[in-house]
Amino acid sequence: MKFGPKAASVAAIAAMTIALSACGGGGGTPAGPAAAGTTSLTLASLQDLKSFDTSVAHIGHTMPIFQTAYDSLIQRLPDGKLAPMLATKWEYNADNTVLTVSLRTGVTFSDGAKFDAAAAKANLDYFKKAKGSDAYQVASLGSVDVVDDSTIKITLATPDPAFEYYLTQAAGLMGSPKALGTPEMAAAPDGTGPYVMDKASSVVGSQYVFTKREGYWNADLQKFAKVTIKILPDLTARTNALVSGQIDGALLDPKTGKQAEAAGMKLNSSQVDWQGLLLFDRDGKINPELANVKVRQAINFAFDRKTILEQQYLGQGTVTDQVFGPESGAYVEGLENKYNYDPAKAKSLLAEAGYANGFTLKLPSFTGYEAIVAVITQQLGDVGIKVESVPVPNANVVSDFAAGKFAVAPFQLYQGEPWVAINQMISTTALYNPFKATTPELQAMIDAVHNGGTNSAELAKDVNTYVTDNAWFAPLYRLNQMYYTSKAITVTPQLQQAVPSIYNYAPAK
Amino acid sequence: MLTFILRRVAAGIVVLCAISFITYVLLYFSSANIARNILGEFASQDQVAAKEVALGLDQPLMTRFFAWAGHAITGDFGTSWFTAEPVVHALENRLPVTLTLVVVAIVLIAICATLLGMAAAVKRGWIDRVVQTAAVVGDAIPGFVIAIVLVTLFAIQLKLFPATSSIVPGAGADVWIASLALPVIALLINGVTGGAQQIRSAVIKQLEKDYVRTLRSRGISEREILFKHVLRSAAPAGLTVLSLQFIGMLGGVVILEQIFALPGMGALAVQSTTMGDIPLVMGVVLYTVVIVIIVNLLVDLINGWLNPKVRVS
Amino acid sequence: MSQPAAASGQTGTVVRSRVITRILKNPLGITAIAILSLMILMAVLANVLAPFDPNFANIGKTLASPDASNLLGTDSVGRDVWSRLVFGARTTLLSALLCATVAIVIGLPTGLIAGYYGGKFDAVANWVVNILMSLPGIIVLLTVRAAFGPSVWISMVAFGVLLSPGYFRLTRTSVQAVRNELYVDAARVAGLSDGSIIARHIFSVVRAPIIIQTAMVCGIAIAIQSGLEFLGLGDPTVATWGVMLSEGFKNVYLNPTLLLWPALAIGLSIGGLVLLGNAVRDALEDGVKIKARKAAPAPAAGGAAPASRADRRKVATVDAGTEHHLVKVSHLGVGYPQADGSVKKVVDDVSFHLDRGEVLGIVGESGSGKSQTAFSILGLLPDNARIVAGCIQFDGNYTVAPGDDVVSQGRVSSLRGKRISYIPQEPMSNLDPAFTIGYQLVTPMMRVLGISKAEATSRAMKLLADVGIVSPERTFKAYPHEVSGGMAQRVLIAGAISCEPDLIIADEPTTALDVTVQADVLDLIRDLQKRLGVGVLLVTHNFGVVSDLCDRVVVMQNGRLVEEGPVREILRNPSDPYTQKLLGSMLEGKEPMTMLVPAGMEA
Repeated sequence: MKFGPKAASVAAIAAMTIALSACGGGGGTPAGPAAAGTTSLTLASLQDLKSFDTSVAHIGHTMPIFQTAYDSLIQRLPDGKLAPMLATKWEYNADNTVLTVSLRTGVTFSDGAKFDAAAAKANLDYFKKAKGSDAYQVASLGSVDVVDDSTIKITLATPDPAFEYYLTQAAGLMGSPKALGTPEMAAAPDGTGPYVMDKASSVVGSQYVFTKREGYWNADLQKFAKVTIKILPDLTARTNALVSGQIDGALLDPKTGKQAEAAGMKLNSSQVDWQGLLLFDRDGKINPELANVKVRQAINFAFDRKTILEQQYLGQGTVTDQVFGPESGAYVEGLENKYNYDPAKAKSLLAEAGYANGFTLKLPSFTGYEAIVAVITQQLGDVGIKVESVPVPNANVVSDFAAGKFAVAPFQLYQGEPWVAINQMISTTALYNPFKATTPELQAMIDAVHNGGTNSAELAKDVNTYVTDNAWFAPLYRLNQMYYTSKAITVTPQLQQAVPSIYNYAPAK
Repeated sequence: MLTFILRRVAAGIVVLCAISFITYVLLYFSSANIARNILGEFASQDQVAAKEVALGLDQPLMTRFFAWAGHAITGDFGTSWFTAEPVVHALENRLPVTLTLVVVAIVLIAICATLLGMAAAVKRGWIDRVVQTAAVVGDAIPGFVIAIVLVTLFAIQLKLFPATSSIVPGAGADVWIASLALPVIALLINGVTGGAQQIRSAVIKQLEKDYVRTLRSRGISEREILFKHVLRSAAPAGLTVLSLQFIGMLGGVVILEQIFALPGMGALAVQSTTMGDIPLVMGVVLYTVVIVIIVNLLVDLINGWLNPKVRVS
Repeated sequence: MSQPAAASGQTGTVVRSRVITRILKNPLGITAIAILSLMILMAVLANVLAPFDPNFANIGKTLASPDASNLLGTDSVGRDVWSRLVFGARTTLLSALLCATVAIVIGLPTGLIAGYYGGKFDAVANWVVNILMSLPGIIVLLTVRAAFGPSVWISMVAFGVLLSPGYFRLTRTSVQAVRNELYVDAARVAGLSDGSIIARHIFSVVRAPIIIQTAMVCGIAIAIQSGLEFLGLGDPTVATWGVMLSEGFKNVYLNPTLLLWPALAIGLSIGGLVLLGNAVRDALEDGVKIKARKAAPAPAAGGAAPASRADRRKVATVDAGTEHHLVKVSHLGVGYPQADGSVKKVVDDVSFHLDRGEVLGIVGESGSGKSQTAFSILGLLPDNARIVAGCIQFDGNYTVAPGDDVVSQGRVSSLRGKRISYIPQEPMSNLDPAFTIGYQLVTPMMRVLGISKAEATSRAMKLLADVGIVSPERTFKAYPHEVSGGMAQRVLIAGAISCEPDLIIADEPTTALDVTVQADVLDLIRDLQKRLGVGVLLVTHNFGVVSDLCDRVVVMQNGRLVEEGPVREILRNPSDPYTQKLLGSMLEGKEPMTMLVPAGMEA
């Protein structure tokens, strides 16, 4: 009875005091000094992977976990340039429909099987057949032929300017042909990658432990003896783990970032996503008002982007009026500042469109977007557009968008390669174009990109200009990815990727 | 005795069936978007439709339920729709974590609450007031606030414990202790005072009983009266409270599991219900209900052992 | 202790008050009511109190510190924290109330019906309740949310359903307890319909527990709601405290007060509800709240109490010439401090003595202070009792020395069991139901006499035979509920004599027994007393018992001793009118008599 409630409450009060003073800033102790010659890397992932089956691999947060165990055909360097990996050389034919790929020899899978042309074909065929979440990457894939033991010929049904990029992502991951689609592979990866999973120490949904593979073909990609990836979906847990020195790297946000910085963590910032409104209903199926381009433009003029960014994200980002990123190739400098904050203009545009008294818009609200929805509601309200927010469970968000339940939605999308971006939100098959809106003019521009080969990025500028001029979206800003690392390691951010590739980490010198 | 247990087990099975059905019906209403969620944002509508057929989501409710129940009876809970991990495997990995956390916490709560509650009942005075006040405070502070304070103080500032769990199968006892210490303390702070309050009332009630006076008149020491007689008679009330706390914690640890990143049932429950991973939700619900039924049975058996009157009837 | 015994007899009144008054007098109760009223006021007057709409966002002024326009600053979107707190009170409290209402609407009527009529409905309802109570609450709420969307109101309705078993059980138990009470029977006989019986008699019984339960349920509802919202599973479009907490938590590093205000509001509300529940409970349970006066030492609870002032002082020696009395009570006064600081005296200026081998009867109506006097000798007065005057000596030593205000446990506990023993009134409630009769006989002997278990067992067998139990082995192994009341009383008598005491205090030893058994037990006590030569202090209201057993008798009325003398003298020649009245009532045959009433009495 020594440790009575009184003692406990005293401790709690003391703890509260310390916690608050720490919150006040300056209280945090820096993480322990980096041990010289760090040989282990521990990262937090905010998402768990569905399984280690390559067909469910998905662009984004879980990609580094796959990269740890699987090599892809092509490696995408941090700046977005492509480099040989399991493919040593690749080349399109004249009309961009046949890709001939030379493969690395002398590489084996972790089950001992040999990596060769047959294995590569088996993987691509499997990926197409399995229809995983990233099946769109092989939508244009016609057939794969084995030319010789170390060469394959990939025939595309239609040109795909992003296909090489896809081979750096899920579609390019190579698993042991014997294991493809088996429960064993779902439970534990079987690839040619730099690390192999330590099954005994790994728990689905909690952490995955990998150890360095002996005899890996490229020692430069194996900088650690051990890689641990902890699944920490909760932002607070990630912050605590990083600040207390349990992990070496994690994606935080500008607010928790302040705490990490106080604890001596290093920020590796990059821009991946744009945030804003998706004005789905360009044909006016739910809200006839939105069919009028003036209304959509009015919405764009209603936002004080700079203030929102400053207040909501502590200025961690860049305001923008377009949905294509600067590195994408489709970026048009001249489009910026097109929709500078101008509520008077927004009101007059609404009046010109015949909605001087405004109208009502239903906006989905979901976890993580509460604050921004409140901001949007306020700003649109200020120009006369009344917003009713409808709570939507997070699990239903994307499907509700896809099902066309909302005319407008706040969201955050990554700024990928132009062709990827077009197929994500602009083309008639794009998920984020649920009403399949288009115009002949736009369709012609899209077709040009499709068949544009190496010139496709340049051609995509027209698409960008069109959707910006016609206010298909109301982008607000590109957000900084707040990726923090401990002093024990260094990392290079990866272009257009939520978190750095596993190859980008190195022990601190 | 045996018939009593058999009867209870039979009743438990009926309860289990009823709860399975209720849960399944509830999930039926929330299963509209599952195929889309499984396939991801890039899947085509055709793929989604095909997936729905593959999962049997196009079937009527009763067909789906009986198909599931038919497998469940044989111990086959299927595989998670989202991770393809067998449900039994997923639960086997996570149950020990949650169960260890809850059982350790409840044992500590039982011990501390008994001592505090008895002290408060017997001594009254300041200790009584402290227990009473602490009970109110313990009730009033949300559990996660306590957890956050503990993490900030003991994990981030003092670095005595890890901020997030590092439990993996086969991890040593040291890892388990280090990972569970803070969550257990958080549960303890939240639960002990309420428990002590209940024990206090039960003990006071017993102390007012005639037989206590008679025992005193027989020259039995106060200590023996308290620990042997009063505690025994007050125990059923305490046990009931503890069993309710236990059941509450099974679900309530979800917040702690999130803060401490514990790979437990709670996290699984939140994840699977929000995603609509029906096989996994059903697995979580069934396992939880089975535990609840076992705990209730144990409590009844212990009560019977404590109270011979109940034993006979 | 210096309470002057100015007035004689029982003085002072029991200070009783209505439940509500009692709650209001309880500092915790008034605190709770104050907190809750404040919260409710906030909720009701939200429109007046809040300068802004709860969702109005000044996007250029986020995470601001308090100033003139934003009393508590702004949140991360630039919404006014005070306005949200006030409107949050409305939603939060209303949703908690909704939860409790649903639980009551389901639990109360079903509990009433199940408890009042029982039968099939009861069985089915219990079964459903078992299912509800086995449901993992959080998981159900998550599923409901997945099915019907993240509305606060829907979750609270679902949670209300989950909590309804609490009300069901509470109501059912209370109703079952009063269903067969006399007054309910009377109402039934009087032709009242079931409906009006339930409304008039039964509902009044469950009212108070329901209030307590509701306070608890509202607290739990607020807690669970904020928990769900903390997990990000709430409805972000509605301002509730939980939503604010969740929002504050995301910004805790930048502005911890965002977390503080809703946490405080939640904490205060839950705390207030718990306190209110406690206050109502205390008001119902304690009835009379004792205000401990500073002068009085901590209440002594049996032997475990800390040494009171009486123990620490050197024990005075008794008056010369009185050492030979086994017990001597001189000018004893016993009282209970009242809420208003006065003392209600229940025993006043009582003096008598008892010698070895003598049987002394204390006669009086219930409430005359006779039992209080007996318990003073045993040192087993309730905790809050005070010796306000006089002294008690046992075998030449004070157990209550002049000036003591409590019975010295240090002195009397070594006597209890060994030299003074006790036969209680109600046999069944005086045996611990959880232990065998054998255990309850053997243990005191082992502890008091220091003998082995085997020896104590054989002595217990002999004792059981001595008190006229036919099969001692079977009774030895039996639990109290397995024997009859008369048998249990014999067991208690065996227990009383087991350690060969000098004094037995028997408190109405036959009152609770069947008439047929009464005579047997009286015979037993008389036989044992003769055989063992112990002194017996017999407390009774029954002159028949007195005439049967006693050598001398004292008559008590209203806490005072009115008459004392040899039994025969008092029976023949009662001088006090009260004694005459007592005797008279006995003769009217209100109490069936044993055959031992002397013939002379009938004259």
